[in-house]
Amino acid sequence: MLTAVLSGPLAAPATDGDACTIEAQLDGRQTVESARYRVAYRTQPERIVVGEHFALELTVCPHGRTPQPDTVRVDAQMPEHRHGMNYKATITSQGDGRYRAEGLLFHMPGRWVFIFDVRAAGQTDRVTASFQLE
Amino acid sequence: MVDADGPPETRIAFSETEVRRILQHGPWPPPPSRDLSNRVSGTAPGIELGERLFFDSRLSSTGTVSCATCHRPDQSWTDGRRRGVGLGAGDRNTLGLANVRLQRWFGWDGAADSLWAQSIRPILEPSEMGGTAGQVAALVRGDRELACRYQKAFGRPPSLENDEAVLVDVGKALAAFQETLSSGRTAFDEFRDALARGDDAAAARYPLGAQRGLRIFIGKGACGVCHFGPNFSNGEFDDIGVPFFVGPGRVDPGRYEGIKRVTASRLNLLGVYSDDPDRSTATGTRHVAQAHRQWGAFKVPSLRNVARTAPYMHNGELATLRAVVRHYSELDEERVHADGARVLGPLRLTSAEEDDLVAFLETLSDGGPGYQRPIAPGEWTCVSRAWWK
Repeated sequence: MLTAVLSGPLAAPATDGDACTIEAQLDGRQTVESARYRVAYRTQPERIVVGEHFALELTVCPHGRTPQPDTVRVDAQMPEHRHGMNYKATITSQGDGRYRAEGLLFHMPGRWVFIFDVRAAGQTDRVTASFQLE
Repeated sequence: MVDADGPPETRIAFSETEVRRILQHGPWPPPPSRDLSNRVSGTAPGIELGERLFFDSRLSSTGTVSCATCHRPDQSWTDGRRRGVGLGAGDRNTLGLANVRLQRWFGWDGAADSLWAQSIRPILEPSEMGGTAGQVAALVRGDRELACRYQKAFGRPPSLENDEAVLVDVGKALAAFQETLSSGRTAFDEFRDALARGDDAAAARYPLGAQRGLRIFIGKGACGVCHFGPNFSNGEFDDIGVPFFVGPGRVDPGRYEGIKRVTASRLNLLGVYSDDPDRSTATGTRHVAQAHRQWGAFKVPSLRNVARTAPYMHNGELATLRAVVRHYSELDEERVHADGARVLGPLRLTSAEEDDLVAFLETLSDGGPGYQRPIAPGEWTCVSRAWWK
């Protein structure tokens, strides 16, 4: 069951001091969340260029008693154009809720939406983040 | 910030957003770079060997077709034909080679992920050069000048047992040469750089019609969405409503089939012939995803020197730049098989706007001299005549 989510970066940091919050404070990662998960992410390189591959570093932090993710999937789409990427990202777990997604490429300028599908205990949460690429 | 200090008839006051988009189409030329997957990329011996091979028709089965047969230096490295003609008639227009090193995928369908693999394909294609690995290897081994140049480029003589390895090295030498083919600075580049440094007087020298056309290109035309960056191409593929039927009962699937071919190829960047030990150049190949919307999608070509590479589109069906502009102006969305994607729509340009857009595109051509071969054909420069006495 997909969970309806908030999208876009948080206006103020949470106060529970999880890894996502800490990383957002330390290195300026963007954070987005659903009812059950918070995701802190940054691109690598920091500045994305149209037509060039980039990676995503992300940390997934469960709220409260929410279980740790079994799997995380990363994708992206251009909602106004109604298409996705020409590439499928591969994601590797680095432990402690940290992941690295590689192979992303935005082939057009405009508004893209990152899609993080976090699956745990048979349930998938979709967390999205809007990204404007000039 | 651009203002309108000059006489109104010489300058357009571009907005900050427009200036930002214009600046993205430079600077030009880009810095030199080497292909890590090609051990002779950027090396003088590799380039010289590749230049010799590029003009050598003995790479073809009949000895009548060379790379230069279709990629003519006097026609901006294309042939001016609607579709290429080698040993037989091809299905696609001949792509120009200027700035080819900047691409990520090669060919109208991107069926090659390196320039050296792409250089091998026409050698083996029956309708182009109709050659074989054995024939090419025998040529390189048996021709004293080529064997000498091969030794200098690769540091060893051509293998006597592995024809395929020799063929791959031929592809790498051809690629090393083609990497040197670059277009020069253009009137647009002068204008772009003038904007960047705030030189209104220099910017005012750019034709007003081209300025209006540029505004369409980056604005209502949204051409820069795909024809992005200094090379005016995002390096990817799209369906723009040009038919993919090539004849009775035959279709050209374009990128959809290209992905299948490149991922299955033993010559791709993940294979044994890549000289890149980390396979860092293979990110695209490793992650490329086939999707239905890529059926009938073809390469977004660079627009540098576009005025010199008529006719246009993957099947060469549009004879002039004006016809290209009109195609987009009157686009039939029913013919765009984008699987629900909505990127393109008819621009509905006026005749004057079409004139301006064509005027802009024409300023993307350089005024440089044609290519001059550094070594005359038949001249021996590697093997000393005294050595062979």
